[in-house]
Amino acid sequence: MKRQASITPWPKPTGGPHPVACHFCDTLHEGSAVPEGSAARCRRCGVLLYQNRPASLVRVTAFSLAALILMAMVNMFPFLSMEANGIKTELSLLRAASELIREGSVTIGWCVAGFTIIAPLMMACSMLYVCGPLLRGRAAPGARYVASWLGRTEPWNMIEVFLLGVLVSLMKLGKMAELHFGVGFWAFAALMVCMAAAVAGIDRNELWDRLEVAAE
Amino acid sequence: MSPPTPLPRAIDQGLANCEICGKITPVVACRCPRCGAALHLRKPASLQRSVALLVAACALYLPANLLPIMTISELGDVMASTILEGMVEFWHRQAYPIAIVIFVASILIPIIKIVALVWLCAAASGKVHPSPRILGRIYWFTELLGRWSMVDIFVVSILVALVQFGAYMTVTPGPGALAFAGVVVLTMFAAMSFDPRLLWDRLEIMKAAETPPPTLDHE
Ligand SMILES: [Zn+2]
Ligand SMILES: [Zn+2]
Repeated sequence: MKRQASITPWPKPTGGPHPVACHFCDTLHEGSAVPEGSAARCRRCGVLLYQNRPASLVRVTAFSLAALILMAMVNMFPFLSMEANGIKTELSLLRAASELIREGSVTIGWCVAGFTIIAPLMMACSMLYVCGPLLRGRAAPGARYVASWLGRTEPWNMIEVFLLGVLVSLMKLGKMAELHFGVGFWAFAALMVCMAAAVAGIDRNELWDRLEVAAE
Repeated sequence: MSPPTPLPRAIDQGLANCEICGKITPVVACRCPRCGAALHLRKPASLQRSVALLVAACALYLPANLLPIMTISELGDVMASTILEGMVEFWHRQAYPIAIVIFVASILIPIIKIVALVWLCAAASGKVHPSPRILGRIYWFTELLGRWSMVDIFVVSILVALVQFGAYMTVTPGPGALAFAGVVVLTMFAAMSFDPRLLWDRLEIMKAAETPPPTLDHE
């Protein structure tokens, strides 16, 4: 309770007005504060400018921590196994990428590894690294550098697309074999939800305003 | 001098909107004081980059759909499967929802995305004149949906990892998969390098050209 109250609402950096420009039509706005839970939209084109998410830092920290734990579970527990003709094969995120590389499709193998393992892992780690210390109003060393890579990594995190891929594969295999879901699969579904919640948890402008204030 | 517009634009005041952190800084500063990213009024060479990436994506689109994305060998029979064949197979097995998902994600989205981006580039260079509201929707669509096309690549990776039953049944990746992944990644890069503000710049130019010298007319 007390900790919650000690987090400042959304500090604006010192030194004059803080204009915001619409990334879609370039219209300048004042960038005045909005109440928690609401958003500011562009006056000309209606695109979302920024939004004030409730309990943003706590949410991002909690969800990215949960995402890291779930990632460990996804890789520790069986994901999906299949039995046909007396032979049992297993699927895991690592195997989905490494089997492609072993079969000679090195580029696609690394793409799959990048989109389903490396990008989500980098995002969860950097969100935790940046937002954790910000809870106490401090910026971790190199936090600005880490945060600038966060936005660049975001489009390449495709775990929800991989989950759709699992469903399509199940439909393809359904008739020919027995399939068993493991704990890893359910952890992966939960991971998708946690990553989405963590990414949506804080507005980019708020994160950077907090970083700017914290470093000063 | 043109009459003052009620809504000021950042570019008119020489202010750059940082792509990484969103801070507004005079563009003469060259680097963002907050995150260190290079500052530009507009994304550099936006149209040229987008068009080049789109041309490359178009070139890969045919091999992506004509070459097999995977090969299934079952008891000695080797069967190559393209994306379209995979979809038709689901349709024949009456798995209509999944056939529609594959059709939308693998065939419809890439082609719509390429056409939409070409159209956006044409609009930004003043070759077509649609309303900015429609363009906004199209841009939002290309940004949001492009990644879902990757689903077929993931299906191949999952089947290759799971279906390894020696002589009984084996799945190996095909050359179409690389081309298809190329189409998805290239269109994602093309959407990223396209600057939607160019559409509004074009609108300003057209408005300035249309506005008659300040007389009594109020058309
Ligand atoms: Zn706008
Ligand atoms: Zn910046």
